[in-house]
Amino acid sequence: MDNAQGYVLLTALALPLLAAGALLFVPGSQKMTARYFSAVIGAILLGLSVYVFVAYQANGEILQMQLRWPWIEHVGFLGENGISLHLGVDGISSLLTLLTGVVAFAGTLIAWKLEYRAKDFFILFWVLIAGVYGTFFALDLFFFFFFYELAVVPLYLLIGIWGSTRKEYGAMKLTLMLVGGSVGIWIGIFAVVHEAGMGTFDLPTLWEVGQSGALSPEFQKIIFPFFAVGCGVLAGLWPLHTWSPDGHMSAPTSVSMVHAGVLMKLGAFGIIRLGIQILPEGAEFWMPALLVLGVIGALYGAIAALTQRDFKLISGYSSVSHMGYVLIGLGTLHEVGLTGASLQMFSHGVMTALVFLLIGALYDQAHTRDLSDFGGVAKVMPLWVIAYVVAGLANVGLPGLSGFTAEFHIFVGAFKTYPVVGALAILAAAIAAAYMLRMFGVVFFGPLNPRWRELKDLSPIETVSAVLLILSMLAMGLWWSPFTDRLANTVVNLPGVTS
Amino acid sequence: MAEHAWILAAVPGIAFIVMAATGRKLPRQGDWLAVLCALSIFALFFAVLANFLNLGEAAWPVLNSIEWTTVGDFELRMGIAVDQITIVMLGVVTTVALMVNIFSIGYMKGEPRYWWYFAVLQLFVASMLMLVLADNLLLLYVAWELVGLSSFLLIGHYWERRSAVEAAKKAFITTRLGDVGLLIGIILFWDATGSFNILEIQHAVEEGLIGDTRLFVTVMFIFLGAMGKSAQLPFHVWLPDAMEGPTPVSALIHAATMVVAGVYLVARLLPIFELAGDALTVVMVIGLLTALYSGVVAFAQTDIKKVLAYSTVSQLGFMFVALGAGYASAGMFHLFTHAFFKALLFLGAGSVILGTHHHQEMGQLGGLWRKMPVTAATFLIGSLALAGLFPLAGFWSKDEILHAVEGQGTWAFLLLAIAAIMTAFYTTRLFVRTFLGKPQDEEVASHTRETGPTMTLPLVFLAFMSIVAGFFIFHDFGTALGFPGGFSEFVFLHYPSVFHVDWGLVGLSTVLFVVGTFGGAWFYWNGRLDRSTVLAEWQPQVYDLIQRKFYFDDLYQFLIDRVVLGFSYLVSWFDRFAVNDTGVDGSANLTGYTGFLLKHLQTGRVPNYAMAIAVGVITLALISLAVGS
Repeated sequence: MDNAQGYVLLTALALPLLAAGALLFVPGSQKMTARYFSAVIGAILLGLSVYVFVAYQANGEILQMQLRWPWIEHVGFLGENGISLHLGVDGISSLLTLLTGVVAFAGTLIAWKLEYRAKDFFILFWVLIAGVYGTFFALDLFFFFFFYELAVVPLYLLIGIWGSTRKEYGAMKLTLMLVGGSVGIWIGIFAVVHEAGMGTFDLPTLWEVGQSGALSPEFQKIIFPFFAVGCGVLAGLWPLHTWSPDGHMSAPTSVSMVHAGVLMKLGAFGIIRLGIQILPEGAEFWMPALLVLGVIGALYGAIAALTQRDFKLISGYSSVSHMGYVLIGLGTLHEVGLTGASLQMFSHGVMTALVFLLIGALYDQAHTRDLSDFGGVAKVMPLWVIAYVVAGLANVGLPGLSGFTAEFHIFVGAFKTYPVVGALAILAAAIAAAYMLRMFGVVFFGPLNPRWRELKDLSPIETVSAVLLILSMLAMGLWWSPFTDRLANTVVNLPGVTS
Repeated sequence: MAEHAWILAAVPGIAFIVMAATGRKLPRQGDWLAVLCALSIFALFFAVLANFLNLGEAAWPVLNSIEWTTVGDFELRMGIAVDQITIVMLGVVTTVALMVNIFSIGYMKGEPRYWWYFAVLQLFVASMLMLVLADNLLLLYVAWELVGLSSFLLIGHYWERRSAVEAAKKAFITTRLGDVGLLIGIILFWDATGSFNILEIQHAVEEGLIGDTRLFVTVMFIFLGAMGKSAQLPFHVWLPDAMEGPTPVSALIHAATMVVAGVYLVARLLPIFELAGDALTVVMVIGLLTALYSGVVAFAQTDIKKVLAYSTVSQLGFMFVALGAGYASAGMFHLFTHAFFKALLFLGAGSVILGTHHHQEMGQLGGLWRKMPVTAATFLIGSLALAGLFPLAGFWSKDEILHAVEGQGTWAFLLLAIAAIMTAFYTTRLFVRTFLGKPQDEEVASHTRETGPTMTLPLVFLAFMSIVAGFFIFHDFGTALGFPGGFSEFVFLHYPSVFHVDWGLVGLSTVLFVVGTFGGAWFYWNGRLDRSTVLAEWQPQVYDLIQRKFYFDDLYQFLIDRVVLGFSYLVSWFDRFAVNDTGVDGSANLTGYTGFLLKHLQTGRVPNYAMAIAVGVITLALISLAVGS
């Protein structure tokens, strides 16, 4: 079952780890070496990610590019395929792979500006990225969890060392909450492996077991919340979202980008991989609850964002709101709704990465993020403002940009299952317009505050990053069938999905 | 050609991309490209029209669509449908867009971001054409939002001015609240019929696929979107503020095209509205209230653009009244004629503003007739057309609406007649105070001069249209131009009535016109204001109410500041103190405090531990004794 394409996945997984290892041998004083090296790695990973997305056959089998390296078999309770490095992608993870490539490359370029211990930063950064790829590729519960943790743990150091505003508090809170979630996942994993009685951590095998009805409905109902809440913490599930605004506020720019852009998606992805695919009946039972929490998150985040004074808090709450949409999409268990949830993961990823990039570009010069300090910035930073307006409009769900494509599918799915939820979700999108335009008005327009006459526009490196992210948004907004085509087959065949 | 009418939207779309990317560096900042683009779509429109008429009734509507995406059972197609309503809209949009593009060359000369202004204008035209060409509600919604975006960008063109930014924000958010309804309505239609295609939805509704209550609710959600875009009560507040944008934009977007999108939408879906219980009554009541309300408010406005803005709101109300009476032809006809004379009036106002070096308060104008003869003469024609003088364009379309309402009960007819008198009244007031009498401000008057030909030529053309557009209603006029008949026969084949002049109604309309016009003239003739202050002295509260626009804006401001933002503060506070500080930090602190308490047990002193062991042993012994017995 191995095929050549599987080695592409293996490369994408191993390359960042090797890069981190190689960087250990670069002297800390040689910052430029570390930067160029990382930029090259980022570019290669972007290329591999694009390849994975493009090469994924929309009409082929669901799991493609598989590769299996057995590790522990026939030991103790472990039987055939006990634990193996089993990699592969389906439609959803191929899209998220593309997202990771785009955001990681953009983030690498932005980290260029970092002066303090640049090399160490990149080492942790690449470990984190390897964890992200691993989680998306893993078709083995053990490795899924391993990579999931590998992605989360470096965050603590990245925020704690390179962060700003209350960084120790932010880093500690974030890590504790996420690790708390992981405990739930770990319990769930052992319960599932034990209950399935196959002596294997292999995900496709466990999916088959779960979907064949071998796991009793009662068991599924008990275990599903461990996965949903455990992964939900990372996905910004209300009311376990509070690490998000604080974490974003403390994190350095490129970490915020990767964190909000990619890491939060690991949570939602986990709910699909573990929750819906292993425990379909548990999912069906609990989904209304997830849906309600998603709606609360969507409205709550949008309303709270209306009166925030700090850029990053606005984006933090807006992320809570947009991840609420993802949960709504998952909660519908409807083919269009789930497609929308997957699209929204990508859309929110690139959009939010761009927003944090831009906030960073301003904060580095202005050293304040208080909205009311600004005014008329468009006069001195036109490129910056254009990029921010594009991101903001995607956030608001303006047609032609990715946000609309994703939200539209979520709304359709929600109306097919719970119309009231759909209506509330649309309302939250209208509130998004209010908080975004409020910010535009205060910061970008109006008379220029003379204090900011010296602000510099985006640097060429930042512009490259921003353009890459904007192109991703436009692609999904203008011509979305390449995205939906790849998702369709996977989503329609998820267990318990209605049409 | 008709099946490739999408090219009409593609040309300005491409022009937008080119101009946004390179506009600043092009010679003359690319304004010639804008005019070229407007000219070519104007010409293309006639190609489409000729082809459409050639194909004949059997081929209408001309359809063309492609597969968009498929997820399981969820299929999407995107495409265009060209029918008679579309043809009318295409004609209006391409004509007014051409005039406005030419006019802007003079008007915007030397203004900041000249190239960007023209680029966004093309974006608007592209989106607007896409809106009227769309064969399905989803594409319509996409275009609907994009015209909103262009409107936002153009209202806020002078973004250094705080008021312009606020106005742009207000326009976007207000219309977006209506769009929430529109999107809900669209998805509800899809949910019930499995399609976004307008024709398919219509067939499904005609077959009774949607229950009565559900259909009514869906239609009302759709109507919310129309109310927002077309500035009907209670969403009207954004349109007068939108006058912060450059004046040619007001003519194109906020008078002739975008604001009538709501009317277009309802007219397009009228067969569905007719089947949806009392939906049409709601449309009519909203239209009537808006027509009356903004007619009254227009009395107390002193900024010439604000008068025109309230007038637009009022005339949109007229159109909805016609639609509510079930006469789509009357509504569309008023849309058609109004586009020309209101665009003329706005461009005329723009000419005044430029000619007087940015003065638009009536109190500072007056006596411009001699200084700006072309502007004044064309403005007079536009005013008379708006007020409803026989046989100018506005007369015929207003007549059609009155005719439509005749069957709807006396009260509706009476109220509409009053609204018609008010129209004539405020229009006369506007013209008399601006162009006649003595200059109110010698300083302003001494600098005033007529504007150049790029501005006066569009005025003359639109004045010509304001005279002749009404004749499209006549069967013979239509057939002479190659249409199958007069306007209503062409647009609504299933209302095959040939238009006949109802002389009784003509007489009545003329009486309304005369009453309103003479009323306006008597109050304001020769620059006098003493008669108009009578009301202010006699009933100060009423006058204040009118001047404060019935407190709508104040009420909304209060709701936003106190209720919405208050709720937001509450949520933020809850998030900080309840969820974070109590829930998250609280549990952390609890853990820490428990540890703090427990650490005292770790004394490191042997007697304490021995004591604990002894207590433990005794307790266990007692338990085992108790269990054993």
